[in-house]
Amino acid sequence: MQSLAAVNINKYFYDPQEFHVLKEVSFEVKRGEFISVVGKSGSGKSTLLYLLSTLDTAYTGSIAINGTTVTGLTQNQLATFRNEHIGFVFQFHYLLPEFTVLDNVMLPALKLNKRPKEEIREKALDLLTLLDVRGHEHKKASMISGGQQQRVAIARALINDPAIIMGDEPTGNLDSKNTKTVFNIFRQLARERNQTIIAVTHDDEFAANCDRIIEMVDGRIIAQHP
Amino acid sequence: MNRTNNKISWVHLTSKLRQLFVAVLSVVFGISMYIFMNSFMNGVNNAQTDITFTSMAHIKVYNDLNGESPILLPPPLSSDTIQFVSNAREISYTEGIRNADEIKNILLSNKNIVAVTEQVNQNVFFRNGVAKLNGTLSGIDVTNEPRLFGTNDYMVEGDLTELDKRPDAIVLGSGLAVRLSAYTGDNITLTTSDGVTKIFRITGIIETGTGSIDKSRAMISIQSARQLLSKNKSYATEVLANVRDYNDARKIADEVKGDIKYKTEPWQEGNAQLESANTLRDIIAVAVSLTILIVAGFGIYNIMNMTVNEKMKEIAILKAMGFDGKDIIQIFLTQSIIIGLIGGFTGLITGFIISAIVDRIPFHIASFTTLPISYIPLDYVMALVFGLIITFIAGYLPAKKASEVDPVAILRG
Repeated sequence: MQSLAAVNINKYFYDPQEFHVLKEVSFEVKRGEFISVVGKSGSGKSTLLYLLSTLDTAYTGSIAINGTTVTGLTQNQLATFRNEHIGFVFQFHYLLPEFTVLDNVMLPALKLNKRPKEEIREKALDLLTLLDVRGHEHKKASMISGGQQQRVAIARALINDPAIIMGDEPTGNLDSKNTKTVFNIFRQLARERNQTIIAVTHDDEFAANCDRIIEMVDGRIIAQHP
Repeated sequence: MNRTNNKISWVHLTSKLRQLFVAVLSVVFGISMYIFMNSFMNGVNNAQTDITFTSMAHIKVYNDLNGESPILLPPPLSSDTIQFVSNAREISYTEGIRNADEIKNILLSNKNIVAVTEQVNQNVFFRNGVAKLNGTLSGIDVTNEPRLFGTNDYMVEGDLTELDKRPDAIVLGSGLAVRLSAYTGDNITLTTSDGVTKIFRITGIIETGTGSIDKSRAMISIQSARQLLSKNKSYATEVLANVRDYNDARKIADEVKGDIKYKTEPWQEGNAQLESANTLRDIIAVAVSLTILIVAGFGIYNIMNMTVNEKMKEIAILKAMGFDGKDIIQIFLTQSIIIGLIGGFTGLITGFIISAIVDRIPFHIASFTTLPISYIPLDYVMALVFGLIITFIAGYLPAKKASEVDPVAILRG
């Protein structure tokens, strides 16, 4: 089943001068696939990810996620859509430092407001257990280690059972041990929960173990393997 | 209201207590100053008016001699008649009000008029030895006069009721007594403009606080005054009335005007300077206090702007997670509204306390013992309303800015 489809994506930067970042990019992702997007700096891989994540809407072409065409939706519709269907993991954890670990994880679900608070809390605790940060849930997010923060950020990305998890260098700031942990978590999510994962990475080892690698050069997809 | 947004607002507020305290303090300062300034200015206005009304009634009825010239001959009926009146003069047959009781009854029948008195005023010469001074002699109704002017409160020596007991009793203004070097118990001589001379005994000294009046006025009982001027029993030069609220004097004067054939004048007509001074003071008070409130608004704006700048990354991640522009505005606007509410109500109490303290500062001029303060509920309502409007605007601008943050620009670094 198709999870994501991008058709003829073109994007320009106009500042400081006009620059064609993405050129006729088209690809599809099946549900449960674990995909890495690789390429040199400036190849357009991060830009592509932000387009796919619906945060950036200045492009031509069309993007459909889970059968919904997101191109052309209003900002508020997109916000609601992201809340329910997309989970984010960034190079930096971007946790809200004044909130507890548990509150950080619960926040997207409280925003979605589809389940009672108790259930959300249970689910958040389960996720923290899964990611091995249980026991820290009542600490402030700024008071735990970098590796733990990144795992809490993953738990937050998972709380609403999103169809797609997008990662912008999700392991870029982690040591090799934590990188392995995060990779294994993604691997497990894709395999066991059938969640699609698209991650931009510089880490060749990380990329090598994915289901598929999309390689970009100068705004074009030059190779997909295996 | 969204509980999740409120929770975020609350955590933001409580995690920076120092900042919260400073923001609240600026609102407290603004609102309490607004209240204090207005209470004080109103107090001063009322004090000023009170002093004025110790010697001036709200409505004055008197025989205005400068009316239109009377028509001496009816205009000729036919066009072939020429009528020529040369050197026409107005001849006043009636000086003063001959039947003051009738006027009193008309005035008293209006339910807004609370007190009425009559006076016989006359310019006279006071003489004490070689000192000879021109002044005003007021024949007063000893029972009703204090109801209008609180005359008893201003008696420095002696008792006003003495005037009724002795036909030759006189009460001098304090300045007049000094100028005549006369003291209670002394005798002084009065000479009227008609040349009648009579000796009076000083039974009291009065000080109203209005210097020009204290320096020139003396009071005797109205019966003695009528006798001195050889007038009839119901004669008065003016009938004075006080109304419930002196601001309504003009309206009430218009109501009774029709029934009275003499000039009926509300206090505003002769005292525009008093009214304009009050208005100007009000304008200054409002301008200064609004400025203070706006400065407080800048304080909130500044703090909220800093908060938004500090939390750019958090705003970006909230947006990525699915919070839309409205949510972000709500999160930050709620914070300033809470600051406004806490600061507002604390400011109301602080304003009241400051006013109450100033109300107790000694200030001895005229009949005052402390600085004048008025406690007007409307000032408190307005302070809160203005305060909330300003905090709302000051909070909305940074919140709007936060809602327009582009998450991509922030998250990509």
